[in-house]
Amino acid sequence: MSTVDTGERRRSGEHRPVITELIDETTVQSIAEDAWTALVGEDEILVPIPGELPGDVVSSWVDVVGPWTGTVVLTTGRETAAGLTRALLGEHAPDELEDEDIVDAFGEIANVVGGNVKAALPGPSALSLPDVGAAPAVRNPADLCRVDVLWRGEPLSISVQGALPALPVH
Amino acid sequence: MRALVIDDSRAMRRIVSGTLENLGFEVNQAGDGREGLDVLEGGYVPDLVTVDWNMPVMDGLQFVSAVRSNPAYRSMTIMMVTSESEHTQIVRALAAGAHEYVIKPFTADALRDKLALLGLLPQEVAL
Repeated sequence: MSTVDTGERRRSGEHRPVITELIDETTVQSIAEDAWTALVGEDEILVPIPGELPGDVVSSWVDVVGPWTGTVVLTTGRETAAGLTRALLGEHAPDELEDEDIVDAFGEIANVVGGNVKAALPGPSALSLPDVGAAPAVRNPADLCRVDVLWRGEPLSISVQGALPALPVH
Repeated sequence: MRALVIDDSRAMRRIVSGTLENLGFEVNQAGDGREGLDVLEGGYVPDLVTVDWNMPVMDGLQFVSAVRSNPAYRSMTIMMVTSESEHTQIVRALAAGAHEYVIKPFTADALRDKLALLGLLPQEVAL
């Protein structure tokens, strides 16, 4: 008698890693610090102290698709994102920032942080173009690595969060 | 020396262009690989092209392949400047015809060192 291989047994027995098995907060913070030093300024530091995000926040993110699939999300207050944009552009910053400038610069920071997070994960993986707006929801609190820091005293969070919902618990 | 900086991020274009201008390059910019090819086809002949990997319309790898398939652009040095830092990606870019690979984030000194290795620093800067 022949049986049809539907892949069901393999799928049900497959171990899908959650992010905390692959990367820790120290690594994520180190990646972010390197990005800040190179992009924002040599003297710019991220202080690992959580702060309360303001009501008016903006997020930038990139998706990672591979053995682990999820999103690297940066979230901060809109004013802080504008400050980051000015710091990033330095002498090239316009007198008046437009939303497009903030979307572009904050998105690029997510791209750089996300690219280096991807490199620390098992590959091969693909990286999406950055997006900016309201943060994607956390799908599975167990598949989340979050770092909260202060930049120039203002709170900023970096989340590496899985895209797939938690598997049902039996 | 002339350079063409291709990146979909205006902020990153400004950073890379500023670094190259400080080193004495005359710089032109493009927002994706297709725009970059348009600049070349328009007659701008750079000594150096820096190109990001992940971009809309035409990505950096497609751009490198397109340039390398055209003998008219043979003398051009191509440097990928990207946040793609997996070893396999670096190998793919070099195999496609990129001469150097710089991983974002980078410092101005790191970019200068790569240019020195490629022999692309204007003489007064290299001294």
